[in-house]
This record gives sequence, C-alpha cells and structure tokens, in this order.
Amino acid sequence: MSKTLILTFLMALSTTLCLAQTRYFTRTGTISFFSKAALEDIEAKNKTVTAVLDSKTGAFQFSVQMKAFEFEKELMQQHFNDSYVESDKYPKSEFKGTVTNNSAINYAKDGSYPVKVKGKLTIHGVTRDVQTNGTVKVSGGKVATTASFGILLSDYKVNIPAVTKDKVSNSITISVDCRLEPLKQ
Amino acid sequence: MKRTILLIVLVLVVAAALIGYRLYKKQTPDVVDARPDVTIDARSLVAAFDADTAAAAADFIDKVVEVTGTVKAIDASGTITLGDSTTESSVTCGLDRRHLKDYEGLKTGAVAVIQGVCAGYEKASGDDLLASLGTTVQLRSAGVKKK
Repeated sequence: MSKTLILTFLMALSTTLCLAQTRYFTRTGTISFFSKAALEDIEAKNKTVTAVLDSKTGAFQFSVQMKAFEFEKELMQQHFNDSYVESDKYPKSEFKGTVTNNSAINYAKDGSYPVKVKGKLTIHGVTRDVQTNGTVKVSGGKVATTASFGILLSDYKVNIPAVTKDKVSNSITISVDCRLEPLKQ
Repeated sequence: MKRTILLIVLVLVVAAALIGYRLYKKQTPDVVDARPDVTIDARSLVAAFDADTAAAAADFIDKVVEVTGTVKAIDASGTITLGDSTTESSVTCGLDRRHLKDYEGLKTGAVAVIQGVCAGYEKASGDDLLASLGTTVQLRSAGVKKK
C-alpha cells in the first residue's frame, strides 16, 4: 500500500516538474536604436534577435547580429557596419545577465511585472556592466520582455569620424522587445 | 575667359553637391526581386553553418540568398522563421520595410521561398542559455518570392 502511495506521489511530482516551464525563448526579438543628432535622427532595427530566459534562475541572455540592423538610408547602413561597429570584425553583440528581482515574477499568472536587469553587455568587442529597468508581461503562457536603456558609444570604443562628429550623437538609446515562448525541452 | 572658368567651377560644384545629396538620400535597396547570389534550401543552409562556420560565412554572409523552406513560425511584426519542426535549428527572415505584409497568405507548415541578405548566424556553444536554440541563420531585408 505504502509503495503504491509513494509511486503515485513520485508520478504526480514528475508530472508537475514537466509542466513547470523553465525556459522561454525567441529567435525573432526586436532591438532598435535611436540617436538624436543635430542634422538628423539615426534609427535602425534588428528583428532577428535570439534570446532565452530561464524563469527558475532569472538568467537572461540575448544575441544580436550587427549586420541584421536595417536602416532606411544605404549610406548610413554602410557607415554603421564599416566604420562604427566594424561588423566584419565584431559580427555580434551579446548580453548575459539576470533579472535580479526574478522571485517577484509569477510566471504562472498573467500580469505585468516591473523588473531590474543586470549583466554584461558586449558591443564592438568591449564588455561592460549594465543595469536597467524593464517590464516582464506574462500572458497566456508567453512572456514579453521590454527594456530601454542608454549607452555611450565612447564606452564601447566606437569611434566617430571627425567629419561627422557634430552630426552623430555619442549617446544612443537601445530598446529591447522580445516576446518569448515556452521552449520545448 | 575668367568668367568661363568661374562658370565651369560653379557647374562642377553644383553637380558634386547634387551627386553627394543623391548618394546621401539613397534608400537601402529592395533585394527581394534581385537576382540571387545563392539559391539553397533552409535545411542545407543551417547544415552548412553547422559543418564549417568559417566556410559558410564566406559563402553566404552579405550575399543575396534565396531560401526555400517550411514555414515554422510567423511573427506579424515582420519576421518569418523557416525550418523543420523536428529540430530547433532555423532560418529567421527579417522582412524588409517594403515587404512587411509579405507574411499574409503564408501558413505554418507550408513551403515558402524567401529572399534576403544573409546577416549572420548564432550557433550553439558550450553550456550557455542560447545553446538550447540550436543553430540559427539570419536574413535581413527579406521578402517572400512569388513562384
């Protein structure tokens, strides 16, 4: 009798463990950046960002192919890849970090949760500590993450050629918008 | 004589300014209907990066690639994912701003032909979180080709 009981308990436990989704992912996240400058605003969008969030630990990671940023103007796109981020040499940017208040999120319950994210951001081969606030929105088993933060190009050794120094701002706003789905494991 | 030289210089300056302005204003090209540099199916494209990233990068990155594959996912904000449902590995295609509605009429599970510029790849490495996604090859400025 007790054996059956233990077995039933173990089976119930394993079912719960299987149902508890721990990882969420996307391959089609969006990262855009915006820079306001005297001459004109610069804007670009990347729609093929890969990201994974571990809901158990709060670990969060995303990776961005620099060549996948789309600009409206051809010359800007060319300068961005060739002179600024040198995408042949440094093809991707990456963030590895954690949601520091992960325990405040109930991934099983729909809702919008303010989050704090902290980690290491690598752009142009330079890795720096970054920290920002964002939002995690749980809805119907999916998790939408949004965050916006500013960086300085000089922090990542992105050189602005002297000719365009007045036209290109050193501060850039980066917006992250990743709608994550449960990862089948 | 002096006047003629002045006039020629003026014309040259105006012409240079016009060319410069046009170059500056030039929009990124729509490559969807261009002649592709490479034609391949989604599975082989991923397999090429799995086998030898350096060789595949040289063969595909920055090239206009026409990819045929099964639609795995559609993101209405402008991305189509191609690949087999049996593996995590995929080809993600970010749609060009002039082709944002190209996903309309496509269904998951159907075969689609998509053309864009190969922008890079993400490959499983070590024990990091992204490794659970397999290999992903990215296209930008993409659109659905009518065949």
